[in-house]
Formats: sequence, structure tokens, C-alpha cells
Amino acid sequence: MPRAHVDPDRLRRDLESLLGARRVSMREGDLDTYARDMWPRLLLARRDGRPPDHLPFAVVWPEHPRELVALVKLARALRVPIIPYGGGSGVCGGVVPVHGGITVDLKRMTAIRAVSRDELVVDVEAGVNGERFERELRRRGYTFGNFPSSIYCSTVGGWLATRAAGQLSTKYGKVEDRVAGLTVVTGRGELVETDGPSRAMHGPDWTQLLLGSEGTLGIIASARLRLAPAPQLEVYRGFEVDSVAQGCEAIRRVLQRGLRPAVVRLYDEFDTFINSLGKRAPTGDAAAHGAPRGATPGYGAPHDDGLAPLPAPGEGALPVLPRPDPAASDGGGDDDGVIGKLLALARGKKRGLRQEAIGLALGNARLLNRVADRVARRGCRMVIGLEGSRIRTEVEAALVFAELAHAGARDTGEVAGRAWLAHRYAVSYRMSPTFRDGAFVDTMEVASTWERLQDLYHSVREAIGRHAVVMAHFSHAYPDGCSIYFTFAAHGDDLAEARRLYDAIWRDGLEAATRVGGTISHHHGVGLLKAPYMTGEHREAMSVLHALKRSLDPDDIMNPGKLGLGAPRAADAAAKGGRA
Amino acid sequence: MPAEAFTRELAARVGDANVQTLPVAAGDPPAWQVSPGAAAEVAEIVRLCDRDGVAVLPVGSGARPTRWRSAVGRQRVHVALRRMDHVVHLDETSLLVHVQAGLTGAGLEKVLAPRGLSIGDYPATMLGSTIGGMIAVRTPGKSSVRHGFLEDAVLGVSAVLADGRTIHTRVAPRRSTGPDLSRALCGSEGTLGVITSVVLRIHRRAESRLVAAFRLPTCDAALAAAHLSLREEVKPAGLRIYDAAEARAHLGAELQQTGVTLDDGAALLLVATAGPTDLAVCDRDIVASAVLAEGGEAVDTRLGEAWWKLRGGDPREVPPPSFQVTVTPSRQRAVYHAVGGAARAVGAVSRAHVSRFDADGAVLFFTLVTPGPGGRPLDGARLEEARAACEEAARGAGGWLLGSRSVQFDPYLAALRAALDPRGIMNPGALV
Repeated sequence: MPRAHVDPDRLRRDLESLLGARRVSMREGDLDTYARDMWPRLLLARRDGRPPDHLPFAVVWPEHPRELVALVKLARALRVPIIPYGGGSGVCGGVVPVHGGITVDLKRMTAIRAVSRDELVVDVEAGVNGERFERELRRRGYTFGNFPSSIYCSTVGGWLATRAAGQLSTKYGKVEDRVAGLTVVTGRGELVETDGPSRAMHGPDWTQLLLGSEGTLGIIASARLRLAPAPQLEVYRGFEVDSVAQGCEAIRRVLQRGLRPAVVRLYDEFDTFINSLGKRAPTGDAAAHGAPRGATPGYGAPHDDGLAPLPAPGEGALPVLPRPDPAASDGGGDDDGVIGKLLALARGKKRGLRQEAIGLALGNARLLNRVADRVARRGCRMVIGLEGSRIRTEVEAALVFAELAHAGARDTGEVAGRAWLAHRYAVSYRMSPTFRDGAFVDTMEVASTWERLQDLYHSVREAIGRHAVVMAHFSHAYPDGCSIYFTFAAHGDDLAEARRLYDAIWRDGLEAATRVGGTISHHHGVGLLKAPYMTGEHREAMSVLHALKRSLDPDDIMNPGKLGLGAPRAADAAAKGGRA
Repeated sequence: MPAEAFTRELAARVGDANVQTLPVAAGDPPAWQVSPGAAAEVAEIVRLCDRDGVAVLPVGSGARPTRWRSAVGRQRVHVALRRMDHVVHLDETSLLVHVQAGLTGAGLEKVLAPRGLSIGDYPATMLGSTIGGMIAVRTPGKSSVRHGFLEDAVLGVSAVLADGRTIHTRVAPRRSTGPDLSRALCGSEGTLGVITSVVLRIHRRAESRLVAAFRLPTCDAALAAAHLSLREEVKPAGLRIYDAAEARAHLGAELQQTGVTLDDGAALLLVATAGPTDLAVCDRDIVASAVLAEGGEAVDTRLGEAWWKLRGGDPREVPPPSFQVTVTPSRQRAVYHAVGGAARAVGAVSRAHVSRFDADGAVLFFTLVTPGPGGRPLDGARLEEARAACEEAARGAGGWLLGSRSVQFDPYLAALRAALDPRGIMNPGALV
């Protein structure tokens, strides 16, 4: 077990001798900033004016892998934890220094090195901002294909450490599907590389054993990632189906025919209903906030994007992502948008809502969900998009749309599809301002095979619905299954009540997911939030995770207390002792 | 424990008929082969071996006997999984199949085919192995341009650990709950656990399958055309390039029958595309355009059909390749020419075909023959000498030879094994 306290003067001296004074901070403001990520449970306390429960001892900004090696070696010698830190956009408390320690911010490690054009791979350091990475690749005619809604505030290293997913994961896969190799500083303080054409290698695939380790086995310093050619064509379309079950069936048929749309999203009845409230014209939205759509829709002419200097005309389409919706990040907490509407329901406010939805059952989530069930029987919205090389995408789009129509989905046109595209990065920035007066909103992303998907939907929805207003959409679809993204909002009278409610929602929701054979996380990761449910998820296989931990981090200094590797480890040792 | 007593203990767990005492040289410790009929029996055998410090060596189809020798020096039990060859569950809704580890790929295809399903367009040679063996041993080429690497098709693994515990990794299309623990078992060659069953992705049989054959002026041009097509996101069911000499050796009869001639430097590119008809046609046409762009032309489709039929088991006994190299795209041309040069330098000729294209690159298969028309494959000391020179040249040009291992991770693997298998009973001779 790592030490809980160290001599701050000695630590400062040691760290400064490694990195210099400029890249070491023990200032209160920095420690406070790095004590958290975007985990809503922490935001609740923050809104309540509470100081963080746990602070790091120091924050450091290394610039080179050898500095990472030196830091881990120092931490081993001092028996002080190391907490790798990327963009801080996690939503599970994965960077909370529960045992104190040195928080290692990787954002100064930002090199992007292209490899020869035939290889379709790039070497990139962990601290590169997601949007900058994608923009650099687009300039060179490639895409990594990972578009999380946090793309503006997350790093490549953070994606890899959590097995993140982007919105177009149906075509490009999750990040773990696109990694050719990793360079990692392990908990032993050694720099190791997992690259080389992995299938020529004997032994387990270490890349896949390090991806998703959330800093508990080592620090990912850089990665060799697989690229795709930048898409020449994007096709988006809206559809409508009668029910969630019908929509899922349609999606399943498309994917199992071997067709690969980039994105398929199906909103449940309540989500569709909430979305339809006070809807602005989607075309107006796109014009107001998104990048103008030119010949290459979605990455078009960017005269006012505010992101980067532009190349001269004739240098090709500049790859610029739509900037975040200004309304979403204005900090005003205007309760605008989907989450605002949901929170309004949870709080019992009537603003902007139809009387039939809120006139009943305010404050009673269970009843409200049931009422919502009834009023919302108006069908489900679906968005589908394809992208890729021009001719192939055209052919594939025609096949996809025909299959959907065959499955009973009604085409609602291109505008309906593009409206989603324009706002796809907006949601992440709404979180913070909306947390007021014990009200909170959070999302739970579970997944299962198609066979169990309807069970998963109904049981998790019921479990969350006992405590909160809940809506869901199905996204990240694969030939063998799909993820469900639940958004829920609730309101506690004070911080203690809000936390109690918050914990109950997660407990009931995740236990329901495990019970029907789903996974407790599709792409947000584990962190502190889901650590108590890891044993339920992996059962006996946790012993393999514990063995990995002992191998790569024998002193338990790497981000201790996360991934369910905290307490059970002592129990494991006790069990072993009992057996001997 | 005396050997007879241990035999009785094994028999008590799997039945007399399923225990066999293996012949060993005088003075060597005894060895057994057991054929458990269920995962629970595997667990009991492993627990028994753990108790007595007896080595456990999983055996799939038994095609790799050389590996067994490494455990000589201690008592050992070969766990043959061939009785565990059942399909546990076929989930046609999610296109998943849960199979016991001892079922062969071909055996699974027999179950799937009548239902219009398939394990997918993987190299046909792979299908002779047991599913457990395919997963437990990583070798290049267990991949498909259309479906990706075989390991990516593994959704879940059940395995017995050294202490007799059985683990089942959670089945989900994707997860974000820590490292993919099933990947610890994949490629572990039985050193971390005995794989007892696997949940695999399967596929509906393609609605259409089209084959096409092309002639290109050089092998470089053929490689360029292949990569150009793949960059256009073509997802063929099969893709292969023969240089002229290799084409004559493999498809000589068909070349004659179709009247297709190949100059000495020329190459043949064969492709099979699959999927919904429109997409299969689209993919084939994209390949055709790429070939045209590289100065090639379409030739008689019968060449493609012959290749597709012969994939995997060639009844005409083309000699097996002398060696194979995994090469990333930008190095393939260099490796091809480097090996050619090295062969010439030792008075031999190399001919090659390229297949098993995947996200890492492709595998180049070289056969070393005597110079002159109708070159005979080298053998004996001559082959060894030429192969050593050619392999060195291939490595120097950036290729990866079969059986490379990341030595950087050796201490980590050793620690992982020590943590899961403190007595060191699990396939002790492997991966060291």
C-alpha cells in the first residue's frame, strides 16, 4: 500500500531535480484543479462549495518518455502513487488521487509523427488533444475516426487508457480496435513497446492488456494508431420507427448484411419526445453553429471557425470540425437543450414543457417515467450516417437505406440526419452549469449482444426509473450487439440526499445490467464510479486482472484504488493465506 | 505419488477409457494423456496436477508435437480436448457461437453451413485446427481482410487456471471495463490457463461472391494495386499475388488451359469479393481500376476460380513454402527484392506469393528452388543455407519472421505466470 503522506519539501526537491521548477507545481489552485475530472458526483460537491476529498501532493508536466521513467522510479522509491492525467474529461473519477500522489499531466507530450503513407498508421504522443490530432490527420488526408463528444477536451492517451469510443464507432470501431502498438512506462519504471506486427509475435497481446488499464498498470506515453483515408463523402439521413424494438431489429439487419454505416443512433420514445420539445429548425441550427457545409459536408469552408489559420484556396478541403455549440458552453446554465429539459422535468419546472408531460407526477420519477411512456408513443427517431470513399459509400448508403425501409423504417430526410451532425459535440459542455440546488444529470452506457439487448434496455431503464427521469438512445451498434446510452436526471434536497440518490441510481442500474448479461461500461471506463461493480462484471476473471497488476505494478503505485483493484486485492491475499 | 496411483486418480475423474499412459524413454518421468469430456473435468485434472506439481500441456489437434518435448524432465499430463467438440450455444440473433475448445474450424463450419452461416472468410488452412488451438497460439495469417484478426472475433473465453478455478470473461460486443482479459488467454499457449470454450463472432454467408484475375507487369505493380484498392476500403474475402514463377508452379495447368502467358517479371493478382451483390461488384470494380492504374489488365476469370477452389488444401501437392515473412505495406517490395537477391547470391531462386492481407500488412511466402526452367525445390543442407541467407535478408529489409517475440515483455510474462501459476505447472516449456 502506498504511503498517504510524504515530506512535501523533499518531494518538491526531488521532482524539481527531474523536471525543473517550472514543470512542478504544489500550488493550492493546481492541486485543487487536478483533484477531479468531470465525474458528476464530484461536480455535485463542487457546486455545493465543498473542497475535494482528495488532493494530489504535486502536479508535474513531463515532456519526454524518459522523464516519465524517472518519475515512476522516483515514485517507486518514495512509495508515492502516480496518477496519469490527460484532458480531465473523464466521467468516472478515474483521476481522483484517493491515496494522494503525483499527478502526471501528459498534455506537454504532443508530438505527432506520420509514418510512411502506405502504412496507414501514425505515431502520436499521449498528451495530444483529440481535436488537434484529428485536425492534423485531416490536413494530411487521413482520419483516426474517433469522435467522442469530448473531442475538444480529451487526449489521445486518455482515449487509450479508458478504451474510449467515438460517435462513428460502427465503422471505425472503438479506439482499442485501432491500435497497432503502445509505448508504455510500466509501474516498474521501465519503458516498453508493444509494437511490431502483433500477429507475428508469440505470447499474449500486451497491447490489448494495457488498453483500458486506466493508469493502473503504467503510463501510456505514445501509441502507433491505425488510420483510414479521410472520407470523400458523407451521407446522413433521418428515419423514424414505431418502437425501440422495431428500430433495433432494423439496425441489426443492416449490420448483419455486412453493411457498415459510420453511425446509427436510435432514440427511445421519451428521448425522441424530449428532443421534439421547442425544436428549432434544424437547418437554422446548422447555419448558426456548425461549420458551413461545402462540397465536403461536415468539413467545409471554415472562415469563422476560430480554430486555426487556414491554408490557401486550392490546398484542398480543410479538415475542420464543427466548433462546440456556443449556447452549450456559455456557462449560463440556461437549461437549454435536451439535458436542460430533462433537468426541468426532474426539478419540476414547467418552463418550455408541454403541460401534459409535466402536469402530473412532478418529483415522482417512477410515475413520471410511466406518464412519459404514454405521452411519448409517437415513434422513435433514428439517425444514420455513412462516410468513406465516394463510390463505395454511395453504393453502401443505397443498400442501407433500402434495408431500413424494408424493415419498416420511414425516411425523414437528409435534414433530420444533418441536424444531429451539427450538434454532436454540444452535450458535454452543458453538464457543469446545470448542476444546481442538488439537481444532477448523468449518463450510463451499457452494452450487450442483440439477443439480450431488449432485456437490457427494459431492466436498466426500470432500475434507473425508480429514482430518476430517464431516457435512452441506442448508439454504437455492431453486428453482434449494441450499446445503450441512458441519460437521467434527478434532484435531491441537499448534497447528502443528492449523493444518496446518485449512488442508488448507479447501484441499481449497473446491477440490472450485470444481471441480464450486459457489460457495465461500453466506453466511459470504470474509475471510482464503477469500481465496486467490477467483481460482478468479471467474477473469477478478476484474478487475471490482479495478476496483471502484480506483474506490471508490483508496488501498487499506479493510480491505486481504481478499476476495482483496491480493496479486493487485500481480500485476495487473505484468501491465498487461508489456503496455504 | 506412484504413477499407478496417479493413473487411478486421473481415471476417477475422466473414466478409464480416457486415460492413456504415454510411452516414455527409460528413466524419464511418466506421462499421461487424458481426454476430458467437460470443462469441469478439465478443472479437476488441473487441480490434481497442481496438487502434485505435475505439468499440464493442452493438446488441440496435436499438430505441434515438438512443443511437448520441452516438458520432459518432469511428470506431465497432456490434456487432449478432442472430446470437447460441441457447440454449446448458437445465437443466430447476435451471430455468435459458443463452442467448446476441441471443435475444429472445419467441424464448426459443418454446423454453420446448413444454416447459411459461416465462421467467415479466414484462410482455409486455419480451419483444420481446433478453435482452442487457433486462439491459444498466435501466428500470422489468422486474419481476414473482410473480418479482421481472428482474435477480434473472440468475444469471450472460458478457461481453467492453474489453481483449478474456471473463469468466463464477460461477453459483450465491446467493453470499457479494464483490459480485455480474454486477450491474456489468447496467444498464451496454455501457460496461463487451459481454454475450454470460446464465444466467437460468425457471419451470414455472403449473398454474392465474385472472383477476378489480373495480370500486372511487375510484382511491385501488383502490390501497389492491392494497397491502392485497400485504401479505397475494399473488403475482399480473399486477395493473393503470385509472381510469375510461383503462378506457374501453383496454377500451371490453368495458365495453359486459359492461354494466359506471364513474362518472367510479371505477376498475377487474384481477388474474391463478397457481400451484398452491389457491394461485391463495387469492390471488384475498384480492384480492377487500381490494376488498370498500375498498368495491368484483367485476364481469364477461370484463373481466379481455380485459385479460390484450391485455397487451403491443394491436392496437387505444391511443395510447402520454405519460409514466410510478415511485412508491413511499405516494406513489402523491399523484402521481396531483398530475398530474391539473397537467393541469387547463394545460387538459388526464390519465388513468392503474397496473401493474408490485414491491418498489419501481409504475409510473403517464399519457396526456394534450383535455377533454370522447372526449378526443383531445394532440400537438405542446401535449403538450410539458402533459407538462412534469405531470412536474414528479409529481416534486414524490415520483415518479421515467424515466431518473433517481444523480449521486453519476458519478465512481465514470467511475473504474470508466477502470479497465476505459482507452482509452474501450466505448459512450463512454452514461451520461454
